[in-house]
Amino acid sequence: MANIRSEFDTLVHALAPELFRYAMGLCHNPHTAEDLVQETFLRGWRSRTDLRDGKAAKAWLYTILRNEHARLYERQRPEACDPTVLPDIPDRGYDTSAEAFVLRRALAKLQADYRDPLLLQVIGGFSCREIGDILELNTNTVLTRLFRARKALRDLLTGDLPQEASL
Amino acid sequence: MNCLEFRRRLLTDPLSGDEDLLAHEATCAACAPFAQDLRAREIRMRSLLQNVVPPPGLAERVSLAARFEQRAERRRQWWYSAAAAVLLTVGVSMVSLFSTSIERTNVALAQSVINHIEDEASHLRAAHPVPTARVNWVFKRFGAELAADIGPVHFAAECLMRKRNGVHLVMPGKMGPVTVFFMPGEMTDTAMPITSARFNGQIVPTDWGSIAVVGEAGETVDGLGERLAAAVRWPASTQAGVSVPVGGNLLAASRLTQQKNG
Repeated sequence: MANIRSEFDTLVHALAPELFRYAMGLCHNPHTAEDLVQETFLRGWRSRTDLRDGKAAKAWLYTILRNEHARLYERQRPEACDPTVLPDIPDRGYDTSAEAFVLRRALAKLQADYRDPLLLQVIGGFSCREIGDILELNTNTVLTRLFRARKALRDLLTGDLPQEASL
Repeated sequence: MNCLEFRRRLLTDPLSGDEDLLAHEATCAACAPFAQDLRAREIRMRSLLQNVVPPPGLAERVSLAARFEQRAERRRQWWYSAAAAVLLTVGVSMVSLFSTSIERTNVALAQSVINHIEDEASHLRAAHPVPTARVNWVFKRFGAELAADIGPVHFAAECLMRKRNGVHLVMPGKMGPVTVFFMPGEMTDTAMPITSARFNGQIVPTDWGSIAVVGEAGETVDGLGERLAAAVRWPASTQAGVSVPVGGNLLAASRLTQQKNG
């Protein structure tokens, strides 16, 4: 039991920061993000026997967090997903510049289908195949969604209308 | 690779070091600025998303929450164990109480038979056989009838047993009078001995109740109860799914018939 406990603590220290970033990318609220991370690890602890494989554990925890966020969203907590509300946290931990604000707003405007693979790639560092496993999509669909996510983001940030032909 | 393909692939991962992409970028004047702009935006986006600093002590709080969860699990396990132990104890106690209750009931039935005989000891002194018609009349009061000769009977009457009325017979035995009680409704699982300073006998289970056969000390009553059960047809309304002969002792009935015939 002590060994499992130690492995779990190691996992928490290694993955809590990036899971928090992923949660922030989803909900834009540090308090909600911390709650999501807490709940994710607690669920992980309850199923700790499945956490022995470190690499699989990371993908699994991301999946749990994503599902937890979806459940939270279903319970309709608007403060959990409003990117225009600036969080009450120190500047060093959250970029409050106008550029960052615009980018966050653009990310929030992305369809969840496009935003999810993008966040998993950028924050989690997952490959397209791993993203496909987490989102239960095939790799080609992941590639398409990543392409469309960046295309839409680019259009939102430049104010252009989405025009596939010009890319 | 044409420009469209290049831009499509670059948009899926702008920081990819794919050689084909780099080669196209190096030779295409139109795509090179597109790629540079896309990479700059990507770096800015990654910087923004990855430089979010988690609140201080986040990992420690998560670990602490897991420890609380672990303690709660242990408490739950303890309660489950305790509940299981309580249930087991209650179960064992119930079985024990049930067994004791049955045992007490059996002892009480045997004692009531002894008491009944002693209270009506005058019937033991009856020395003359009563007519078979009288015996039949008593059984008919219960809807029962004799299916075979049961031998001489010195006393026959309807009597109040412990719960309800039954048939009280006194028959001659080797050591003295033998009392027989037909007790409808007095259900027992197995044959039970009846012993006292003066009497010796047993209670035999039947489908409709039980039969007590009690003689003086030293009297052999083995098999008598079964033979009497087989010799009397008890009404279906007081039986548990068995018609005739009463007691379900077909073997004994067959034996009795064979003895009678030959």
